[in-house]
Amino acid sequence: MPAFIEASSVDQSQRLLGISLIITLAFGVLFLRLVQLQVFEYEEHSLAAQKNYTRDQILVADRGTIYDRKGRILATNKPTFDVYLSSRYIKDELQFLEKISSILDLDALDRLELSDVIKSKVFKSKKTKLATDITRTQVAAIEALNARLGGLSVKVRYQRVYPEGEVGAHLVGYLGNPTAQEVKSRDIFPHQMVGRYGAEKLYDHLLQGQHGVERYVVDVKGKKSDAPWAQMVSERVAYLKPPVRGQDLVLSVDAHVQSILYRALDGYESGSIVLMDPRTGELLGSVSKPSFDPNVWSGRLTKSVKRDIDENPFKPLIDKSVHSFFPGSIYKVVTALAAMEEGILDPELPIESPGAYEYGNRVFHCHKLSGHGRVDLNGAMAASADVYFYKLGERLGIDTLARYAHHFGLGERMLSINGESRGVVPTRKYHDERTHGGFQHGLSLSSAIGQGAVRTSPLQMAVAFSALANNGFVYRPQLLLNSQNINGELTERFTPKIMKRLEADPQHVQMVRKSLERAVNDPRRATGYRAAVPMGKVAGKTGTAQVKTIVRGHHKQREQRWRDRDHAWFAGFAPFESPRLTVVVFLEHGGSGGKDAAPIARRVIEGYHQEIEPIFDTQARLNLNNYPNSNLDDHNINRRF
Amino acid sequence: MFRRPQQLPWALILIVFLLCSLSVYNLEGTVGPHIKDIHWQQVKWIMIALPIMIISSCVDLHFLRRLAPIIYLAMNGLLILVLVMGKVVNGSRRWIDLGFFNFQPSEIAKIGLIISLAAWFQRYPKPTYFFSDIFVIGLMIGCPMFLVFLEPDLGHTLMLMLITLSMCMIERFDRKTVIAITTSMACLSPIIWTFVLKRYQKERILTLIDGKVDKLGAGWHSYQAEVSVGAGGVLGQGRGMSTQVAGSFLPENHTDFVFAKLAEENGLVGALLTLLLYLALLLSIIYTSSIAKNRFARHLSLGIAGLFFWHIMMNVGMVLNLLPVTGVTLPILSYGGTSLVTVFVALGLVIASHGQRQVFDR
Repeated sequence: MPAFIEASSVDQSQRLLGISLIITLAFGVLFLRLVQLQVFEYEEHSLAAQKNYTRDQILVADRGTIYDRKGRILATNKPTFDVYLSSRYIKDELQFLEKISSILDLDALDRLELSDVIKSKVFKSKKTKLATDITRTQVAAIEALNARLGGLSVKVRYQRVYPEGEVGAHLVGYLGNPTAQEVKSRDIFPHQMVGRYGAEKLYDHLLQGQHGVERYVVDVKGKKSDAPWAQMVSERVAYLKPPVRGQDLVLSVDAHVQSILYRALDGYESGSIVLMDPRTGELLGSVSKPSFDPNVWSGRLTKSVKRDIDENPFKPLIDKSVHSFFPGSIYKVVTALAAMEEGILDPELPIESPGAYEYGNRVFHCHKLSGHGRVDLNGAMAASADVYFYKLGERLGIDTLARYAHHFGLGERMLSINGESRGVVPTRKYHDERTHGGFQHGLSLSSAIGQGAVRTSPLQMAVAFSALANNGFVYRPQLLLNSQNINGELTERFTPKIMKRLEADPQHVQMVRKSLERAVNDPRRATGYRAAVPMGKVAGKTGTAQVKTIVRGHHKQREQRWRDRDHAWFAGFAPFESPRLTVVVFLEHGGSGGKDAAPIARRVIEGYHQEIEPIFDTQARLNLNNYPNSNLDDHNINRRF
Repeated sequence: MFRRPQQLPWALILIVFLLCSLSVYNLEGTVGPHIKDIHWQQVKWIMIALPIMIISSCVDLHFLRRLAPIIYLAMNGLLILVLVMGKVVNGSRRWIDLGFFNFQPSEIAKIGLIISLAAWFQRYPKPTYFFSDIFVIGLMIGCPMFLVFLEPDLGHTLMLMLITLSMCMIERFDRKTVIAITTSMACLSPIIWTFVLKRYQKERILTLIDGKVDKLGAGWHSYQAEVSVGAGGVLGQGRGMSTQVAGSFLPENHTDFVFAKLAEENGLVGALLTLLLYLALLLSIIYTSSIAKNRFARHLSLGIAGLFFWHIMMNVGMVLNLLPVTGVTLPILSYGGTSLVTVFVALGLVIASHGQRQVFDR
């Protein structure tokens, strides 16, 4: 035996040495791996470890409030209380039923339904909503009941409310739930409402605010932990970034003005009134009828309400103030200015304006069958003599007319709000492309009196007439005055923006203005006399736009008759000497500009003067300081002499 | 039957003492759905295992060697018993419940196999071993291996084979035979992969290769362990501050994954020192093996060294996400009665080998 041991023992000792080496090497590998993990990959693992024990909770920011120019609330967040039922935890079902029925004032049918729900096994495991938007008193009573009998919980949520309701609803707008795509692209939550209409949509990015984050330490189950290790780590790792509430906005409109405008439309089913300050372009008021209640649209929209709105033939969801229609005679201001600028019109020269005018192989009629005889610009504007303007249109040609229309800002979007339409300023090319038979010269004549293919919106006409009122500045309508943060500090003040200038001889502008004044105040012929007010001078133009009857679809008789009627317009400003208001009244299929629209304009102007602020002095004085162009020489106006 | 050791391997004893202290120190603060203050429990177990180690160190190795066949039979008997009446835990039968304590026959099998093999080498010493011998060895280990595999316990099956290989390393084997066997094993492995391995076992291996594969399912343990270790950095997070352990993000942190806790709390420095301690342990056992005066003692020590080595490699390798998860514990550091007792029995035998040297000229 010893021999065997000795013979191979040296060999074995060597092998043992070898084994020791291998063992050491193996440990070396482990050591290297440790270094790799704990030194080189330390960052990566630290982060992964942190992800395990921290959670980020996003804190949703409050949406900003919308105010009118006087500080009245147009849109704000109201906390609403909802009650939830967890029938599993009710201690005494009968008593519970009694008490909750009295607190929530349930009728017999509701009680029965509730009783079924409480007893049902299906609902035992679920939390169901019992009631929504309950009062604070009810909340207190429910908390008390819950303490005794259990089964209830109250949750707060913030509901958007619009105190003005349907008055001016189109301008303020409403909210809706975001689409899946919006959630992704805008980094918002599925239940976070976004603006879908009006100012809520236009300024959504200002109103939204920034979310906050709370990072806290959790245990392996994901629940917030306050074990000792968690507390120690919290100090290092936890943080709170509070949410920043959205900005509050102050709009240029006046809620009181809006209600004046809205009431002024009483008696007419569909239309719009726009009120602007021609000195700055500020939008003082804009209403569209019929309207809707944004409180309903931002909350729970019932099927019946939606159906009613969808089926309403007067289309409450369309904002008529930015939708375009045939303007009719109010377009004549464009024709007049264009003709003077082109040098083809002498405003004091009388021109024959009969009841009809032959052109080509057609006869173009005046609204007054007997015609007006020989009239100058003032007379033609006052009486709305169509042939006078047909002649101007004939000599201008549709393209030149279009060019001047663009000077007024027509054919462009003003605010890009509520699906604003650009309108139509037709040209030769337009008709060649879109009209059956292409362009025909007769269209120049129709366009000259605001028919043909011409389409404008009340907002565009307000901007155009403001440009006349303020002697040549085409302002972009201003809806937002300033934005402020939650402490009321101003974050940004928005200033009037001039879109363009009426590149016209100021004397020509004055001529047009004068003719507008005559169109209301000429005692013999003014079609707009019903817009005149006793306190001062109003200037403006009536328009009665003939609507081509396009037999599309089958409408009810009454509706068809409505659709056949002319649109009624009135566009003007006051006081004439130093205008502070531009008014545009539009009545869809409303009848006659003079009979229907003009009186409404009067009501609006009077209402404003009496209820908001006086715009007429007892002695009408030229108030040059309110004018942007108080010093005429300052301007780089294209003078055509 | 018993013989007091003449000399004691003081280095080894010191290292064991350090490891025990480290174990208790490290186990404080492990959390889980089990006993609170588990480190005190560990102290209790150490107290129980200590006398066992002393008894085991006094066993007369000659006596033990002659007892080997009986040990071998008993070992296999227990393995069959556990298959028949073992407690089912997580889908496998590994434990025998005796009421006041349970034990794992596969743990006993490891020691039993070492003793049996060592005895065999002593009985049949040859300068070179040939195929017939390999065949016999194969049968000897094949039986317990097969029984353990049926439990199923892949980790311990592998362990038995690895221990055997370790013990064979100091003997010379016929080169051609070895090559032939290795090649045929290599060819067998795809068959083993497809037909023999269970799904979760395959998943574990796959997770190893592509660690990011399934972090929430099969890869959870290894991923969490890796993160814990990595997050320890160089200096560690500090006692009680290992977030992964304290927050229960790392499962099994008192048994299989104790090393992760140690690494997270004590960083690279702590982990390295621990590894060095284990290395010292192994080298001192190898030293005992090298100064042994007879084959039985030599193979016994070597086998035990192998036992420890492979346990450490497989456990730490698993924690560091280098090897698939096998459920093998870390000697002394892991909590667990059976594991500790087995380790101490083994250590006692090493002490016996060391101390009974003088008597080996027979």
